[in-house]
Amino acid sequence: MAEMCSEIELPQNVCRLREEHKKVVGGCEGQIQHWKKLTADYESLQARLQTLPDRLSYDVTVPFGPLAFMPGKLVHTNEIMVLLGDNWFARCSTKQAMEVVEHRKRHVKNTLEDLEKVAKSFEDRLGFTDGADVLGGKGDYVDIREELDDEKIPIKGERRVAHRPNSKPKVEAVLQLEEAADGGRQRGILSEEELWVRLDELEAQEELMDEQDRALEGPDGIGEDTTSSSSEEEKDAGGGRLTNGLHLREAWPPSSPSEEEAACVPTIYFSHTVEPKKVRINTGKNTTLKYSERKEEAKRKRRNSGGSNGHSLPERARIRTPADVYRVFVDVVNGELVPRKSILKSRSRENSVCSDTSESSAADTDERRGPLRSTSHEEAPQSDASEGSPEEGAVPGRAPPTPGPSEAFSGTVVEKDPGLQPSIPHLTITPPGLPTIPERKSEELAPEGPPDPPKRVSKFKAARLQQK
Amino acid sequence: MAEAIQKKLQSELEKYQQLQKDVSKSMSARQKLEAQLTENNIVKEELNLLDSENTVFKLIGPVLVKQDLDEAKATVSKRLEYINGEIQRYETLLKDLERKSDQHREVLTSLQQEYQRAQGRAAGKV
Repeated sequence: MAEMCSEIELPQNVCRLREEHKKVVGGCEGQIQHWKKLTADYESLQARLQTLPDRLSYDVTVPFGPLAFMPGKLVHTNEIMVLLGDNWFARCSTKQAMEVVEHRKRHVKNTLEDLEKVAKSFEDRLGFTDGADVLGGKGDYVDIREELDDEKIPIKGERRVAHRPNSKPKVEAVLQLEEAADGGRQRGILSEEELWVRLDELEAQEELMDEQDRALEGPDGIGEDTTSSSSEEEKDAGGGRLTNGLHLREAWPPSSPSEEEAACVPTIYFSHTVEPKKVRINTGKNTTLKYSERKEEAKRKRRNSGGSNGHSLPERARIRTPADVYRVFVDVVNGELVPRKSILKSRSRENSVCSDTSESSAADTDERRGPLRSTSHEEAPQSDASEGSPEEGAVPGRAPPTPGPSEAFSGTVVEKDPGLQPSIPHLTITPPGLPTIPERKSEELAPEGPPDPPKRVSKFKAARLQQK
Repeated sequence: MAEAIQKKLQSELEKYQQLQKDVSKSMSARQKLEAQLTENNIVKEELNLLDSENTVFKLIGPVLVKQDLDEAKATVSKRLEYINGEIQRYETLLKDLERKSDQHREVLTSLQQEYQRAQGRAAGKV
């Protein structure tokens, strides 16, 4: 019970509780009294009813109002109007009336019993509170308390001791682990970091190269066949670049994994780097052509009236769908934009970087490329310097066809590329002597088919020949 | 700050008191209904005991109106049902009021705590 919470609180709670109890008990008592009175009344009524029908009439003094009485007679002694309750009356005989009275008495009795029960329970509670006082220790009862002695309690097993924060052996172990981890990590980091650093360097070089390309606007193009979908876009320009690329590769034996680039040096771009999208194409001579989108862009930029160099990048950036690719990679033929022919077509051999030169195809390409070349010349033909010179060597292998009006050499290098789509690189010799890769005309190479060029000439020789 | 809390406290207190009054009113009404219920039960029992030779009257104002026994029984039954329904209604009402009063009580306690805290803070400052 609430009063047994604590000794200190006992007196206060107990007092209050006792008061409440007493109140309740008092109320019950009052009601009990009331009901008891009722019972007494009913009993007397019963008695009256029993004697009433004994006589036919009674002489009574009837009260008239509050202050007067009149002598009178009581008749119809057996007829009694009984109030049933809730404003309902019934005419009954005395006996029936008595039954009604009996019923009521029963009800009253029940109510009385309930009240008495309640009173009793509250009295008991009162008694409990008294007992609580006693429990507080004031009486014979004593609260048994036993304090627990921790030390005396036997502890099974060893006691657990908290680890000291700076326990030596623990520290050492940690140190060793760290060392080992560091060593391993360091080693791993070196390798990773090394790679990342190299990647960054190469990317920087790549950018440098591109800038130089744009700046130079040299004949060198870095278009190469692409194994990716961009291969289809690549046409003349790509071929030119391919040539250059191949020359580059030949000049610098495969240092494929390396990303070293020297300024104004044929650049070999990593195929997996993001920026310079190079794709290697096996040209059948264990050489691979690399196509650089950026170079492509640069070339096209130069081709397009050498417009602001800034266009290429946005142009490149605008490629979002395959259709854009076709749109972007176009050749400028006589000032008009012509979509490039797929390098997969036989004609693309002109632009291949194969060292083989097919004179026939070169001738055809030269004819068609004449105007192109001129335009490209005028537009400061692109082609990276790196790829320029080697390409030309391949071209003179065949009888140089009628070059364009303004150039001595068509710069066509016809190559045989059985493995891949052989693309004959077109070279245009710019006044400075740097070979350029002219755009490929769509008609080029179509009739040529895949006949191998009869004679292969080194690029340098070709260049020299052209320049003569 | 303290005054605002005090005002809030006052308003909440008034609301709570109002709710309590409503609760008590509902309680008393319900008690009355319960009394009527018992009474009507008794009347019903008595009527069942009577037979047709007794005339039954209903007191309407100062007039005692003669009623048929069966009619009386029916009337009493209807009244009983009505009383039961009323009791149910009051029950739900009481529950609702209790719930609201509990909520208000919680609000009051929280406000009181805030007020005490504010007072303490003010005392601390001073």
